[in-house]
Amino acid sequence: MIKKYFSKNNLSKFVFLFVLIGVSISLGAKAAVLYLEPAEEEYHREDVFIVEVRLDSEEEYINTTKVNLTFSKEVLEVRDFSQGNSILTLWLEEPSFSNQAGTISFIGGIPGGYLGEDGSLGKIIFKAKKEGKGEIQFQEDSQVLLNDGFGTEAELKKQGAALNILAEKLEAPKDEWLGELKRDNTPPEPFEIKIHQDSAIFEGKHFIIFSTTDKQTGIDYYEVKESERDWKKAKSPYLLEDQTLKSIIKVKAVDKAGNEIIAEYVPLKKSFPYWIIILILAGVGIVWWIIQKLRYVKK
Amino acid sequence: MNGNRKTPIFIILLLLILTVVSAAVFITHNVQAQMSGVMATVRIIVCGNGIAEADEECDGTDFKSQTCIGFGYGGGTLSCDNACDFDISSCTTGGAPIGGGSSTRIATKVIFQGKAYPNSSITILKDGEVTTVVMADSNADFRAEITDLTAGIYTFGLWAKDKDGIKSIIYTLTFRVRVSTITTVSGIYLPPTIDIDKTRLQKGEILNIFGQTIPNVEVDVYIFSGEIIEKTQADEIGAWLLLFNTQALEDGPHITKARFQLNDEERSIFSEALSFYIGEGGPDIVFSDADFNDDGRVSLVDFSILLYHWGTDNVRCDLNRNRVVDLPDFSIMLYYWTG
Repeated sequence: MIKKYFSKNNLSKFVFLFVLIGVSISLGAKAAVLYLEPAEEEYHREDVFIVEVRLDSEEEYINTTKVNLTFSKEVLEVRDFSQGNSILTLWLEEPSFSNQAGTISFIGGIPGGYLGEDGSLGKIIFKAKKEGKGEIQFQEDSQVLLNDGFGTEAELKKQGAALNILAEKLEAPKDEWLGELKRDNTPPEPFEIKIHQDSAIFEGKHFIIFSTTDKQTGIDYYEVKESERDWKKAKSPYLLEDQTLKSIIKVKAVDKAGNEIIAEYVPLKKSFPYWIIILILAGVGIVWWIIQKLRYVKK
Repeated sequence: MNGNRKTPIFIILLLLILTVVSAAVFITHNVQAQMSGVMATVRIIVCGNGIAEADEECDGTDFKSQTCIGFGYGGGTLSCDNACDFDISSCTTGGAPIGGGSSTRIATKVIFQGKAYPNSSITILKDGEVTTVVMADSNADFRAEITDLTAGIYTFGLWAKDKDGIKSIIYTLTFRVRVSTITTVSGIYLPPTIDIDKTRLQKGEILNIFGQTIPNVEVDVYIFSGEIIEKTQADEIGAWLLLFNTQALEDGPHITKARFQLNDEERSIFSEALSFYIGEGGPDIVFSDADFNDDGRVSLVDFSILLYHWGTDNVRCDLNRNRVVDLPDFSIMLYYWTG
């Protein structure tokens, strides 16, 4: 029996496989992993479901992630992207997607880095539009960088997802995203508007910065209003139209469920310059004193 | 014939040795990975999750089998207060309860406890922005409470400034905060601060490597590329100094960083990594100052400036000097972030 399994050829194959597994385990031990959750699932046509992009940092602090994904555009359609509960706090490139090209991309960072095995980077909301195999894959240029002060690229494993889209059900299609939207009645986190001026950007003109998070469905957009001007969709940093800084500035953060929070900047009104009155009175007093003196001398 | 029989055995032995070696590499790899950043000291306890964890007396209805009788009373109802401590006010000595207890909803709160440097200021960031600043006592112990939180995933960062104004790197923790719970994170040991007196020197010159940490601990100073580990002792105010003879190093770039180890299980994460160069010539030391607007902080303003120059060859934002403002520059900025 043993001879049967351990014939010369099989034995070599067995041992080769054994070593290969050992070596691959050893070599692959430190690579961070970008993966999708769920990796395999069945949905029905017209279902709306959520696929989460996650990071396993594998015992290293990771502070930067660049994610480029492709998906089967004939089978799947991206409805939205949610930053709710993402571990990324700074978005260098906001999430964007193209249903024509079948691509999704974003770049984000975590000050000080992230250490953990299931950090959510964001949620992709898909709609199953056709029966078939819906594949979602990380592109080769996806990257994660170590929090080491040198911007070192970490070894990276990428694990995509293979979804099976079945025929439409008789009952109403499920909508996981709608459920999340209905549950979200909490506005984004409170935040502040900060005014700055720096010769390095906007030709030294005044600009504002703002940033907040929404722990449920994520921030959808920001709007800025300067005094009586209309609300305008905006991104931070935002170049102020009123460079005199006399306008009341409002920034509205709106989450995906429509909850909003407004931060306000009220310019400090300059107090009345009472010192000028004192100066004038003092001047008048001195002149009057001089006149009196002159009169006295004449007499 | 005999030789033919020996061949498979030889192959098996050879391959088994290879497997053992690769397993050893795997283990070494993992040990290095743990050394490179994982903290072994932090404990997270959630008061309000209904589970009485190690440092909690109780939590919700989990009393760890304790009763009023266990406290020496005749009977009554033992309850658990908002701080997950026993409330014995409804215990009875045989008749009426000894006091009137009431339960209110717990405020969502996170408490941080740990060690920094004696009398240092510790800045706490919530999702990258400063939320509070607390002071450590003369033993380097600190405690901070963060309130007004909604439920969700948060990344908290902590950094400290030592007696000489040297900043530590950020120590980050990412976890889910649940509504109406008090999450206590204890055992936070901020890494030592570190500085060097020269960034370019000749082989054989003495390099002063110094900083501050908790008092009276042993500091391990690592010199990479030489793979040297030197030990030095922090004094009673946590100050440490290593006079390192560079004779053992080759000409070229090197990196140093430090950490302390209290015992086999408790140690800090590594400090900031500092670069220096031995010998003549060589490349410029990596420009690590991400404070683009020179306000003493690396914050959203600096991020805005980097964003503005993204993809250009702006010299100020090109931290790694590769002639383009790109992903490594963003990563370096996040490493030096202060909020």
